[in-house]
Amino acid sequence: MFWYQWITLGSLGICLINSSIHLLRLVRLGKPTDFSSPAGKVSASVKYSFTGAMNPLKKESAYLHLPTYVAGIIYHLGTFLSIALFFLIWAGVNLPDILIFPVAPFLLISFACGMGILIKRVVKKGLRDLSAPDDYLSNLLVTFFQLMTGIVLLLGQLIPVYFILSGLLLLYFPFGKLKHAIYFFAARYHLGFFYGWRGIWPQKRIERDGG
Amino acid sequence: MKELNKEQITKGLEVFQNLADSKLVTHLNSCVHCGLCAESCIYYLATKDNRLTPARKVDLVASIYRRYFTFTGKFWPGFVNARQLNKETADEMVDLLFGACTMCGRCTMHCSIGVDIAFLVRVGRTMLSNMGMVPVTLQSTVNAAVETGNNMSIPEEEFIATLKWMEEELIDEVNDPNAKIPMNETGKKILYTLNPREPKFFPLSISAMAKIFFAAGESWTLSTKMYDVTNYAYFSGNLDEARLIAHRLWNEMGNLKAQTLVLAECGHGSRAFRWEAPNYLQEQFPFEVKTSVECIADYIREGKIRLDPEKIKDVVTLHDPCNLVRSGGIIHEQRYILDQFIANFVEMTPNGTDNYCCGGGGGQLAMSEYNDRRMKIAEIKAVQIQKTGAKIVVTPCHNCVDQLSQINVFFKLGLKIKTLAEIVADALILENEPG
Ligand code: SF4
Ligand code: SF4
Repeated sequence: MFWYQWITLGSLGICLINSSIHLLRLVRLGKPTDFSSPAGKVSASVKYSFTGAMNPLKKESAYLHLPTYVAGIIYHLGTFLSIALFFLIWAGVNLPDILIFPVAPFLLISFACGMGILIKRVVKKGLRDLSAPDDYLSNLLVTFFQLMTGIVLLLGQLIPVYFILSGLLLLYFPFGKLKHAIYFFAARYHLGFFYGWRGIWPQKRIERDGG
Repeated sequence: MKELNKEQITKGLEVFQNLADSKLVTHLNSCVHCGLCAESCIYYLATKDNRLTPARKVDLVASIYRRYFTFTGKFWPGFVNARQLNKETADEMVDLLFGACTMCGRCTMHCSIGVDIAFLVRVGRTMLSNMGMVPVTLQSTVNAAVETGNNMSIPEEEFIATLKWMEEELIDEVNDPNAKIPMNETGKKILYTLNPREPKFFPLSISAMAKIFFAAGESWTLSTKMYDVTNYAYFSGNLDEARLIAHRLWNEMGNLKAQTLVLAECGHGSRAFRWEAPNYLQEQFPFEVKTSVECIADYIREGKIRLDPEKIKDVVTLHDPCNLVRSGGIIHEQRYILDQFIANFVEMTPNGTDNYCCGGGGGQLAMSEYNDRRMKIAEIKAVQIQKTGAKIVVTPCHNCVDQLSQINVFFKLGLKIKTLAEIVADALILENEPG
């Protein structure tokens, strides 16, 4: 194992410990309690919260912002793919060419999506005013992680840079907004609980359409 | 005003500790600053002011949390925009969380992550309440409820006189000298509540509901001491006062030995009592609680009341009160009721859980200092109504009636605004109908 792999391994350990602190705190705080009498089914609603309620046709944050939404989806897919590839690259597994050729260009596209999202954040005043250095750094780390994954796959070069960048990303993950990867699931759960308890989700269609 | 004192800061920050459950911790840590919620909020839609987006409101509360309760916020506040709780921050909180949010929850449903934005706004309001920074106008409404038992400070004699007057109206309407508005009777099936706006400004809505109870042959009563369904402390964020107000209604159920508490047409009152009060009080209700909307729908289903489909000819639309619908789950009952007798019904777009707030929620009607902003955002609702071509707007909420009435005048819409009970009472088929 090379020195830079050791560094990354150490970063992964620190990342896991700090991420576990977030996770364990949520677990320790426990499930929500509600003393009102329920009007619906929480389990069905939590399921809906992760499925039907995420339908882009149901969310203005998706259908009113289609280019950003699509870029965001590709960007997140690129992130998940890069994380999976990280373990393969770290273990020294070589991907067959038949996989490299769709995967690496996809990562370049997801890199471009990440850059697009970053540029939007810089250019749009409303978004710029909302942003902290954390938002820019988080984006840059993840976006370049994807680019470097693509480069390593395609060219097999800059491997130390790739591992150092991965290490930085892992180290930073639990401290900035990237930790939403943990809290996202809890947020969807709580939303599902809230709307399910009150009988609002899963949504039933309003039958009449007037006229 | 001078800087915040130490006690205010401690009390403000205590909220993060006292209320720290997994829901609060989750939502404080979830926003990714994507800004995609802006267009879901009437404040941003109507003003295009970037300061008024839901994301800015979330971030204001979360930034204080980060400053005092996270590693990065404590050591590199500038890096994660972690803000100190000082006068400047608190003033901004008052303006954004009280003055630019109706806690309608529309943004929550559309947030890309699922951050409960309205919940965080309320947490921010609780901080301000702990710091003694609730706008005086809203606080005086809460004080009136705490001190007099109803938020309009209506003396009991005046209330009884109004009920007697409405009883005479009822007798004329139903053509039956035995018709009555029962007061403080024990052992009845239903204890009915009112929004104090009814005895003060819209007494005919009391006789409308009394007419429905009469037609259904219901066993019911009103309390002349504790009838106020509202709980503005829910909006001011003061949990102690919210608890006190909720407890009185609970006690009155015990005093009058009623079986079911029926909540008058009031979105926030219904939400505050049906859903929130058991949680302030940390106890389950030993009695049934339902809204008057559900009650009327049940009467129709059970054949206890009949409605004349020929009575209302005008085009009717429905405004969904946010607290009743998006946060209360009463979505289909009002439509079921209107379906029985309204021939020309047109839905607003969007509607149901996706409706736009009328602009009067979250205590906005009580906070006159934000009147200009309130009427500015009302434009969204005015346009929505105009597009339906309706002549009558029905809404099961007295607060919404008030705001919609102001919208009607301000935007010269020429509408009739009615509660659900009023339009149902208009179409009731009675055995003894006066000739
Ligand atoms: S709760 Fe309603 S008014 Fe408040 S920020 Fe969200 S959409 Fe806007
Ligand atoms: S949509 Fe949700 S995650 Fe995005 S800025 Fe708004 S509150 Fe934050």
